[in-house]
Amino acid sequence: MLVFGPFLMFGITIGAGYLGASNTENNSEIAVISQNSQLRNSYLKANKTDVNTAITDQTKAKKQLNKGKIAGYLTLKSDNQKISAQYVGTSSLDSSMKSKINIFLNTQQQQLNLANAQLSATQIQALQQQPKLTENVQKKTGTAHTAKIISFWITVVMVYIILITYTTITAQEIASEKGTKIMEIIFSSTTALKYFLGKIFGVLLVILAQILVYLIGGFGGYLFIENSSLTKSFVSQYQSLITSVLRNLLSVNLIYLLLGVVIYTVLAAFCGALVAKVEDASKAAQPAIMLNLVAFFITFPFQSNVDSIVVKTLSYVPFFSSYFMPLRLINNNASGVEVAISLIVLLVSIILLTVYIGKIYQGLMLQTDDSSFWKRFKRGISYNK
Amino acid sequence: MLKIQNISKNFGDLKALNDVSFDVSDGQILGLIGQNGAGKSTTFHSILNFLNYQGTITWNDQPITETVFDEIGYLPEERSLMPKLTIEQQIIYLARLKNKSAKEIRPQIETWLKRFAVKGTKKDKIKDLSKGNQQKVQLICTLIHNPKLLILDEPFSGLDPVNADLLKQAILTAKKQGAAIIFSSHDMENVEELCDKLVMLRNGKVVLNGAVQEIRDSFGKTMIYVTTDQSIDKLATLPHVVAAKPLESRRYVLYLDKEEAGRDVFDELTHGQYIEEFSQQPPTLNEIFRRKAGEKDE
Repeated sequence: MLVFGPFLMFGITIGAGYLGASNTENNSEIAVISQNSQLRNSYLKANKTDVNTAITDQTKAKKQLNKGKIAGYLTLKSDNQKISAQYVGTSSLDSSMKSKINIFLNTQQQQLNLANAQLSATQIQALQQQPKLTENVQKKTGTAHTAKIISFWITVVMVYIILITYTTITAQEIASEKGTKIMEIIFSSTTALKYFLGKIFGVLLVILAQILVYLIGGFGGYLFIENSSLTKSFVSQYQSLITSVLRNLLSVNLIYLLLGVVIYTVLAAFCGALVAKVEDASKAAQPAIMLNLVAFFITFPFQSNVDSIVVKTLSYVPFFSSYFMPLRLINNNASGVEVAISLIVLLVSIILLTVYIGKIYQGLMLQTDDSSFWKRFKRGISYNK
Repeated sequence: MLKIQNISKNFGDLKALNDVSFDVSDGQILGLIGQNGAGKSTTFHSILNFLNYQGTITWNDQPITETVFDEIGYLPEERSLMPKLTIEQQIIYLARLKNKSAKEIRPQIETWLKRFAVKGTKKDKIKDLSKGNQQKVQLICTLIHNPKLLILDEPFSGLDPVNADLLKQAILTAKKQGAAIIFSSHDMENVEELCDKLVMLRNGKVVLNGAVQEIRDSFGKTMIYVTTDQSIDKLATLPHVVAAKPLESRRYVLYLDKEEAGRDVFDELTHGQYIEEFSQQPPTLNEIFRRKAGEKDE
């Protein structure tokens, strides 16, 4: 459930979207009616996708409108001088449809005007001259900012949710073992450090499996939305944006996510081992969750100010670097050397913290005093061999 | 041989163990007794290296570290298993921690379940078992890797007489196989029945240490069991009798101020009277326990 939850949500969203789209498909169509079949055909030729072509007369159109099968009907009229149209519907035309109808009517009126004016070919050509607006959007620069914002939010929210999930699970599991005699049996069979390392290694394998499943699932999902008729046009329209976001996500940021999970898991295990009794298991993760929450919220004011000394400093500080270095990387604000230093600091911190907690783990797990946090901590350390 | 030499352990101001020394040889059973909080579990935790302590504990002349963990079988005071696992998974998991392979352990599980009369199959989950059956599974987990040193903290606690007998048999089998066994208990009958040696702790100090019979004999034969028609009031007034208590119909126990007074009491009782039973014995372990627990520290 932990791993497949996001896919389930994705599936439900797509399914709901698809069902919603199927149900509203007919309702967005209109009927086009005209005594002038040539005029009607011209409209249908230009705008076939939005029209229910089966409805050809007003009586039928009214019936279908009353049944809610169509959004409305458009009656096209023409005489020798003028083209006119009347729309009847349950709500006003949306801007896109209105624009299509206006373009059609203008074109038809213009053709009629030209025919009535009996102009020469040169005059016609002169009148058909249109003003020209040229847009020159530099695609890469244009989407880069949006890509950064999207990448930032996806990264921090993903890191936050995954860290919260793993810290909660780890702290609760360890807290539920606390004070139970199974720990005494285990510690009479293997060292606490080995057991602790085994637990952390187990969590590491789970998160690796989760990332792998997300990568495969994400690739499959991308192929789906790239080829689905519902989303195909969206993907091609925003291809460069999607590519930029994916590039930001599938980078060294994944290593920060992975190491972030490990260091927060180690901290969560420590918190779990420090609870007074099994009943406090649900509260065990709170210190780790609070730290994660602080790191998460501190990123907000700095998302467009990555040059700040705070961002630069925190990108080297364990527990914070999993948020702040990806933030800098998304904004191309960190060099390879800086990333390497930050990763080494994070790795060394993980190793030192794991070894230290692994050494005092036995004492922390075996002492069951229902006293204050610091007394429990002190007793745990003194208890230990 | 398990050798414990002069171990002390403080928890803040509390002196949990104070210069405790004793040893248990291979094929020997030692009973560790004492009131709640006397230091029995702390002694076990020290042996298992859970604590830092002063003094020396060795197993076959080696300090107890990870290298000898595989030779130890430990049953904690409160029972605790992993409720989501099946019996088989639980036994194999704990045996693998003792470096036994699943391949080696799996074929033995059925035999052990039958031996301890566990109700259920090896595929049943621990959480679905009754408390008694969970306790039996825990015993199997303690014994299945054939430990050379068996540490049992209150093993009889919560067991009915039938299951207590099963456990006794298992302990005696382990003894026959040469294991050094140390267990704590509040049930002096079990201690007397099973133990070769006895150590009693009071406030972290050893107050008794030796073979069970020797300890009993050291208190002198100051108890007389009599079965007679005489009244308890008369029995209580006999010379050298400090107290008399009824046991069952016409049966009493008399407490003497000294062992040598037994003959005088016998003469007084039998003077023209029929005595169905007269037996002069040292105090029972229960009595010794009460006396020792009631003594004040020097």
